[in-house]
Amino acid sequence: MKTITEYLQSGLSATEMVKQALARAKQVADYNSFLSLTEERALKRAAQIDSGEISGKLAGVPFVVKDNMLAFGAPTTAASVMLKDFHAPLQATAVEKLEAEGAICIGKSNLDAFAHGGSTENSAYGVTKNAHDTKRVAGGSSGGSAVITALDVVPFALGTDTGGSIRQPASFNGVVGIKPTYGTVSRYGVVAMASSTDTIGCFTHTAADADVVMGIMAGRDANDMTTLPNFWNEKSNSVKKSLQIGLIKETMGDGIDTEVQAAVYEYAERLKGAGHTVREVSMPTISYSLGMYYVIVPAEISSNLARYDGVRYGYRSQNATSLEELYGQSRDQGFEMENKRRIMIGSFVLSSGFFDAYYQQAQKARALLCSEFDELFASYDLLLSPVSPTPAFAIGQKTNDPIQMYKADIMTVPASLAGLPAVSVPAGVSSTGLPVGAQLIGPQKSDRLLLRLAAQLEKGA
Amino acid sequence: MTKITREDVLHLAKLSSLELTDDEVTAMQDELTEITDYIAMLGGLTTEGVEPKYQVSGLENIYREDEPQTSSVSREDLLALSYATSDDQVKVPKVL
Amino acid sequence: MTQQLPHPYSQYKMTIGIECHVQLATRTKLFSAADNDAREATPNSKIVPIDFGLPGMLPVLNRRAVELAVKAAKALNADVALESRFDRKHYFYPDLPKGYQISQMYQPIILAGYLDAPLESGETVRVRIHHAHLEEDAGKLTHKDGYSLVDLNRAGTPLIEIVSEPDIHSASAAKAYASELHKLMIYAGVSRGDLYHGNMRFDVNISVAKHEAKALGTRAEVKNLNSFKSVEKAAEYEFKRQVDLLESGGRVVQETRGWDDTKLITISQRSKEDAQDYRYMPDADIPPIRLTSEQVNEIQANVPMLPFEYRNSWKELELDISVIEALLSNQSYAKLVDEIKQTSTNAHARRVAHWFASAIRPEDDVTVQQLSALKPAGFIELADMVEADELSSTAAKEVFSELLVSDHTAREIAEQRNLIQNSDEDEIATIVDAVLSDPASARSIEDIKAGKDKAIGYLVGQIMKLSAGKANPALAQKLLRERLR
Repeated sequence: MKTITEYLQSGLSATEMVKQALARAKQVADYNSFLSLTEERALKRAAQIDSGEISGKLAGVPFVVKDNMLAFGAPTTAASVMLKDFHAPLQATAVEKLEAEGAICIGKSNLDAFAHGGSTENSAYGVTKNAHDTKRVAGGSSGGSAVITALDVVPFALGTDTGGSIRQPASFNGVVGIKPTYGTVSRYGVVAMASSTDTIGCFTHTAADADVVMGIMAGRDANDMTTLPNFWNEKSNSVKKSLQIGLIKETMGDGIDTEVQAAVYEYAERLKGAGHTVREVSMPTISYSLGMYYVIVPAEISSNLARYDGVRYGYRSQNATSLEELYGQSRDQGFEMENKRRIMIGSFVLSSGFFDAYYQQAQKARALLCSEFDELFASYDLLLSPVSPTPAFAIGQKTNDPIQMYKADIMTVPASLAGLPAVSVPAGVSSTGLPVGAQLIGPQKSDRLLLRLAAQLEKGA
Repeated sequence: MTKITREDVLHLAKLSSLELTDDEVTAMQDELTEITDYIAMLGGLTTEGVEPKYQVSGLENIYREDEPQTSSVSREDLLALSYATSDDQVKVPKVL
Repeated sequence: MTQQLPHPYSQYKMTIGIECHVQLATRTKLFSAADNDAREATPNSKIVPIDFGLPGMLPVLNRRAVELAVKAAKALNADVALESRFDRKHYFYPDLPKGYQISQMYQPIILAGYLDAPLESGETVRVRIHHAHLEEDAGKLTHKDGYSLVDLNRAGTPLIEIVSEPDIHSASAAKAYASELHKLMIYAGVSRGDLYHGNMRFDVNISVAKHEAKALGTRAEVKNLNSFKSVEKAAEYEFKRQVDLLESGGRVVQETRGWDDTKLITISQRSKEDAQDYRYMPDADIPPIRLTSEQVNEIQANVPMLPFEYRNSWKELELDISVIEALLSNQSYAKLVDEIKQTSTNAHARRVAHWFASAIRPEDDVTVQQLSALKPAGFIELADMVEADELSSTAAKEVFSELLVSDHTAREIAEQRNLIQNSDEDEIATIVDAVLSDPASARSIEDIKAGKDKAIGYLVGQIMKLSAGKANPALAQKLLRERLR
């Protein structure tokens, strides 16, 4: 049982579905993909569904929430010491909306602490292992949710994507991952990383399932000023017979694993086979996008993590005798090294004397990148690229080299900076049996087109 | 190449309210040097006359009406999250 | 003999710029729907998760706060920025729940403007406004023995910070500026202006330099003054302190100073040498505000008449400046007087203006408003009665005081209190003649004829007595004089 439809048509009661998912979760505990199970609450909700008290489009379907989203039933830790025992007094809008349709959260998944990372090695609670090779990373930061989906624990799991945190682990674990248009899903109740690029999306086995889940979560939220009016329910046409697709040249060159390139070319061939046109396009500014990303995002991180100060909630150092020590020690002990590194970079690029040269320059460069996308979308319906330069790498391989780790985000950050929807779809398998994804990027609000196209190719596969 | 000094690291740590250990300061010095060197690539882009793009949603004028609403989360719920409270307030070491 | 040197103070000029935080008269906070009125509230009873800085909470902008800022722009003779944005100002402090304050650093909503502050001398001083911006207030700390307590009721309260140019050069002008700003914000409906509850707080930047000096001196900033008097006294104190310091060979350090309202001195708090680097950053959680000129005009059309407009309107009433300013200290009085001017005669308006001016006690705060109750008709009627000699000026004041609090008409009040005077010449002439023919008056009549004019008082008194206090005394005197001529 993999897809939402299969769950809904299984004839199992909600309680049976939830029990089965919980059992499977425990069975795959070695992957360290869960930070907590919300067993008690899940079974209670399942009983309510079975008694007819709650109904909805996803009645009884179990799912998992990335542990940087506020949800009841277990602490919301963001995989950090800082929020180790933080029991949220409210739930994220995305979780609320899914629950309103009867879906049942059975647990919270592992991530890089505060979603800073691309391997789920930065979790304060241990590394999550790849679903296809336990010596390799799950990818990240939504590594837990990707692995949980790939291991068929639940038909869908939520993730957040700020610079690739859904797409890259989706690619590493061979599932579908969508990062929607910025503003599609409310960020309310999601531990903020970078306010201008944070998005909420999901992992599924099929594009059709992603469409269902996103459709429920999408829409304007009075609690998040940056949410777009719901475009998911707009009546849209089916996939044009022949789409113009641009394959971004700069993402297929040096430094990109040949097996990754091969998988993407193969996906391009399948697109052509389905009647679409694929042509190479150039995006010169894309080579600067990592530079932009590692200025803008740390700046926003340093700001968004300022509230974790040991004062009102979260970890407070026991040894602090002064306010200054309380701040300094609580934050030093409550954050992981990668958190601190990004806070420091952020403080640097925002500090007096550097703001114009780094932060402002990056935001201007971002405007150039957006224009370049706009120009391409004048001639192309969507763009194609790899998701990651390599398949899943070995655990520990890059932990001591933050720059190398950052560079792995090269394919995914451009869509994040421009707020574009992007879908990671399984495209192939490496010689060592590791999944390789391809990335479809479209103009803003073309999310459903991306998913329909992906669905079209799934049928052909 | 901007060399990040130990003093720079300590200054940034102070701005960030991070009481870094000596080892962290040392590690951070090298890493920040490498990272700032990397992001300096942005200087290679000509951005004259370009308006910075701080937000990508294209939204503007989003408002809430000025009507008080009660929250499902009470003062007690919020204070329950605090390490130390007194008289319905959050308790911190004496602010000088 | 040594010649007395001029006092060093006279060789120096002070230069003052003022930043004023004005609390907006909204019902809810700037970015949360929590009740904004925490005056009588217990700690942390006016907070929602946004105000607590909970993870995942996002700001949602209060439309009314933006509208009030647009109104404030009109009061400040300033243009509204058609595009404005919010920025984050970062620093760590327990009263700042997010670790940053949402403010407007780069694109404030209110652009340059000015105000003309009237001085007691009758002159005005023009102070330019550099800009004004929207921002949220911080919470409140209470210091106990060994620990401090955080109350976030005030956190997120909407403010506009009005930043003046350094155009002020005396303590009295500083006070006048603060006072005029206060009136403007209340008249425009921007703020309740409750100084006691900190609705307006002034940060005063002061430097001194010799008159001939080309550059300004190093400035000190006295923070958190919450009355006009403290603005004036702090400026006076700082001027002397800084001049004394320079004259004794010292130098002024750039620093933040506090104000001790009992000792009337400023106290060093924080040197600018360890100045904060606030790392301002555009806030991506808040889409920009974009207004059209039409929208601005529409909002500003609802701004009631402002103090300077009243002053202009009243020029032809030829009122004393003290009367004008007394009237302006209460918006409802000013409004009423102006309505009378518009609907009745200048003479009436002038008369009513004086009544109101004398009715305002100095301790009355401008916030004591009775906007709804007062209607011009009653006061016009009262003025009519005075003009028709039906009331003495003393009686008129009595009726006026009652009219402020009563539902009755001026005439009803005057009648109830038996205050209407008799101005019938024939009737009074009869009484006058009776008094003059009374032998007891003979002495006074002789005195008057001998030039002792004061003696007429006795005769008038007798007339009043005979008329049961109702005779028009002026008329009685006139008739007396005619007969004694």
